[in-house]
Amino acid sequence: MKAETKNKRLHIVGAVAMALGVTGAVSANAAGDPGREVIDRKCASCHLEGGKLTRIPEIRKSPEGWDMTVTRMGIWHKVELTAEERRAVVKYLADRQGLAPSEAAPFRFLTERRPNMQDTPPDEEMAQMCGRCHSFGRVALQRRDEAEWRKLMHTHLGQFPSAEYSALGRDRNWWEIARDKMPGRLAALYPKNTDAWRDWSRAKHRPADGRWVVAGERPGWGAYTGVMTAVAKGNDKYEVSYELHFGAGNKVRGHGDAVIYTGYEWRGSARLGNEDTRSVFALSENGSRISGRWFLKHADEIGASFEAVRADKTAKSALALVTPHMLRAGDTATVTVAGAGLDAKVDLGPGIEVVEWLGKSAEQLKLRVKVASDAAPGLRKVVVGGRESDKSVAVYRQIDSVRVEPAFGIARVGGGTNPPMTAQFNAVAFLNGPDGQPGTDDDVRLGSVPATWSTEPFDERAKHDEDLRFAGHMEPHGQFLPSFAGPNPVRRGLNNVGNLSVIATVADGDRALNAKGQLVVTVQRWNPTPLR
Amino acid sequence: MKRLRALNHKAHLIEQAATEGHREEVQLMSSVVGCTTTFDPGWEVDAFGGLASLCQPMEADLYGCTDPCWWPAQLADSLNTARDWTDGKNSALRDWRELQTLFPGD
Repeated sequence: MKAETKNKRLHIVGAVAMALGVTGAVSANAAGDPGREVIDRKCASCHLEGGKLTRIPEIRKSPEGWDMTVTRMGIWHKVELTAEERRAVVKYLADRQGLAPSEAAPFRFLTERRPNMQDTPPDEEMAQMCGRCHSFGRVALQRRDEAEWRKLMHTHLGQFPSAEYSALGRDRNWWEIARDKMPGRLAALYPKNTDAWRDWSRAKHRPADGRWVVAGERPGWGAYTGVMTAVAKGNDKYEVSYELHFGAGNKVRGHGDAVIYTGYEWRGSARLGNEDTRSVFALSENGSRISGRWFLKHADEIGASFEAVRADKTAKSALALVTPHMLRAGDTATVTVAGAGLDAKVDLGPGIEVVEWLGKSAEQLKLRVKVASDAAPGLRKVVVGGRESDKSVAVYRQIDSVRVEPAFGIARVGGGTNPPMTAQFNAVAFLNGPDGQPGTDDDVRLGSVPATWSTEPFDERAKHDEDLRFAGHMEPHGQFLPSFAGPNPVRRGLNNVGNLSVIATVADGDRALNAKGQLVVTVQRWNPTPLR
Repeated sequence: MKRLRALNHKAHLIEQAATEGHREEVQLMSSVVGCTTTFDPGWEVDAFGGLASLCQPMEADLYGCTDPCWWPAQLADSLNTARDWTDGKNSALRDWRELQTLFPGD
């Protein structure tokens, strides 16, 4: 009996190696990998046919996609994994059957859990067949061949029979579309074998250890700059420390760890100040930059953008942030340039003159600038050390318009085991651009501006139902805190849901500009998957 | 409509819309009120980007949504994925605080 088990085990290991070998991504050190051990011991007990591993080798996914698959196996088929086993198998699969950076790039907003984003499926048919129940990005962050996409259709039919209604099954033969048409279309859009993955999976990738100059913006708090230091702990794991500066006197220190999946997908966990956070970043293909978003562990709608440049000897005037982004004609302002290998030679464009240096280091330049009163409004590329960067500053005489971002936001009532989901709004100033009209594509984004926030009923129905009274309240920095969940007896058959207009009032000299967004305070969600 | 009499606010609005010549809109809206994924884009928001056409209060129909697997991406479906989600929580109106979120933490 013992010998049989051993033979079977060897057989399985061989099958895994052979099956994964299709991607050309199996490295010599795969044997003994704890993730592979999990596949051998637990996955292969079902996913083995004729000595070959089935399904698993035929798919590529993001780390979150694999985590959802592994978790689903636990829920559907009672596969019991420890937290350590779960992490190991996700790491193993994401490394060997992941997505190339260019494949994951269009849907980073989904992995970064940016709130209030609406993805756009390639066409109406894809929207109807996939995007009526979950984001289309959840589909687009997977790669399969046609036969494997067809199996996914069958899985949906078996596990989620209501898909028939969502796929407009009352008006057409939806299953013929799902079975006969969609697999080919999806395989053409998101094929298993691609040049991008072949090249990425064969290349060596630069580790993330070292010192990084970081920057970003947290809606409600504003811009920050700082330093992150990553120390390698083996197996793509890092110990990470942070020091972030949010404007005058607001210094946030933090410490945590991170794991790199697929050679570039950074997933971190850190205590920043008094907040527990998670980070979803991506290293650039050459390993010189990191970008992404970090957010609160228990409230992923609250977070900040993140950009980092590697601060090593090779860095040459690599910029992470130039702040403030908007400079008024005729004013004198203090500008901070954060980056690595900075040369103290800065050109902010026509009409902006450096009048005093307040600080010069390789990682930060601080300067007083005078903006000519006749400087032309508009964007200017920032040039440091003779190198044009991807950063800009904008000169303005007056703010032409303000927008509330997001224009359509969602908050959720909370209570019981399901915490409330707040909604953070931001007021953003714009110039009209060449056409002189606000709200058009050529508007020039100036940046976030302080605002006074208020809410109103969105429509007559909201007024009639007194949504303003029950749905929650707006904090001074634009964060809406929703009310408790559960039926509210005072509202006669309603929860504390509401449909509100969110109004930002921005002062620009003596002028006051208003902008309006919509906030729907809606019900809970009980399935908080990492990819929605 | 001749044999029907409006009793509540929503019915009065439908009646009013019909008399103002918006008959086709009235028919579409009356379908949406039935809470079906065929017409509604999401669990959170109705076909008009608002809340008026969602089931309210949600708890009154929550188990009617979970039993036939109506919103499996947002809720438990007790058809296949989370068969015991409502065990011991017989009334969503009374026991909603006890309902657990589905995806395990990291």
